[in-house]
Amino acid sequence: MTDEALNDLTEFHWMMDMLQTVDVGLVVLNREFEVNLWNGFMESHSGLLPSQVRGKSLFSLFSEVNEVWFRNKARPVFELKNRAFIIWEQRPYLLKFPNYRPITGTEDFMYQNITLSPLISTTGKVDNICMMIYDVTDVAVGKKMLESTQVILSELNEKAAETPSGV
Amino acid sequence: MYSVLICDDSLVARKQVAKCLPEDWDVSVHFAKHGEEAIAALKEGKGQLLLLDLNMPVMDGYQVLEAIQTQGLKTTVIVISGDIQPEAHQRVKRLGALDFIEKPVSPGSFEKLLLRHRIMHGQIEEDRPELANLDPDIRDIYQEITNIAMGQAGDHLARILNVFVKLPIPNVNLIEASELHMMLQDIEDKDTVSGICQGFVGPGICGEALFILSDSSFNDVAKILNISEEVDDQVQLELLMDAANILIGTCLNGLASQLDMHFSQGHPEVLGQHRNITELININKTRWRRTLAIELSYGLEGYQVHCDLVLLVTEESMETMNNKLSHLLED
Repeated sequence: MTDEALNDLTEFHWMMDMLQTVDVGLVVLNREFEVNLWNGFMESHSGLLPSQVRGKSLFSLFSEVNEVWFRNKARPVFELKNRAFIIWEQRPYLLKFPNYRPITGTEDFMYQNITLSPLISTTGKVDNICMMIYDVTDVAVGKKMLESTQVILSELNEKAAETPSGV
Repeated sequence: MYSVLICDDSLVARKQVAKCLPEDWDVSVHFAKHGEEAIAALKEGKGQLLLLDLNMPVMDGYQVLEAIQTQGLKTTVIVISGDIQPEAHQRVKRLGALDFIEKPVSPGSFEKLLLRHRIMHGQIEEDRPELANLDPDIRDIYQEITNIAMGQAGDHLARILNVFVKLPIPNVNLIEASELHMMLQDIEDKDTVSGICQGFVGPGICGEALFILSDSSFNDVAKILNISEEVDDQVQLELLMDAANILIGTCLNGLASQLDMHFSQGHPEVLGQHRNITELININKTRWRRTLAIELSYGLEGYQVHCDLVLLVTEESMETMNNKLSHLLED
């Protein structure tokens, strides 16, 4: 093997290692929504090995995913090469994963933000899309807490306004 | 030089009126926030023509007209107001106003009115007043690249929704932080609109896309997207996100390809009752003063759908954009 080829191979190796260990869920899906790539984050949180999911439909693997809804979200990505974003306010999660912090976390499951990004093939067509899953549990919990605090605060304010002052 | 005094308590309204002054009309423009300021300015000779709003704090338009009469101040008054009742028209004319224009003012009709009353004489070809300090050539280029990007976005939207999209003319302006603040405040105040904002960044360029959909559009959007369930808050959010994804995404893609770069997009944020916009902007106020704003209003033919897309780009980013687009500037 030439040095150049070896270098290329080494580079490919550490790049794959990076995809594998990055703390974001990475899934590559084809037009039939079959899984082509499943990184370490996905493996750890779902408990499913890449070999168990490869070539299988996302909908058959995860019954909690609403097929019609998800196909609609993915349509502009395949057809328009357009990124699509799904935020936790729409649906708290796409795939029901347990909380990353099982002991000190307050929620049972992981809140998720999802990005669907087109992967343009050598022919210029979108045959595959990349799904990125971000853990936004802390953001969601913080926001929900802020909202409930605001409600309590306004209730207290109302009460204070009703009570005559100086009593 | 002929002086024009614009008196309105709203900054947006003052700017809007100033923008409607004919571009080839060489005048000095002054502003007043309420009647008292207007009277003071008139006394300093800053208003041969006074464009006067009626509802204002401190001293309203009617009181200004009375003061002008009692104090014998020399000025021509045109009232510009959202109050369209006939009674209001008659009252201000009795108080000495020359004419009455309903808000919002349109440049064309305003110019006609000025010519009709011989306040402005036609065919004056002098230097343009520097109202907006954005180089006209640069503005043209931004407008043109937006036109192209927007056309692509419209086409995408039309194909995915199977409707005809009415394409707007992009509005390119440098706006102040306070103007954006008002625009956002407007979203917060009215519960009739919903908004999404999303950051985007490319090498040397950063900005935010703001997508605003009027609530009356939701039922028709649901119809177009074949959603049969009842349109509750959750469905509305879904529709808002779908529309925002398509419009923001394709518009940014179109711009990026013309700038020969790629934009990363952050996660969208929902603007509205859960987010105090006032605080959000106040915190950032010191960070930026002016921003380039590209405003696009989309409509769908045959449907009651109206949405606005505002792309905001930081002033610093303009340098990079101008460099990238310099080939378009050369003849």
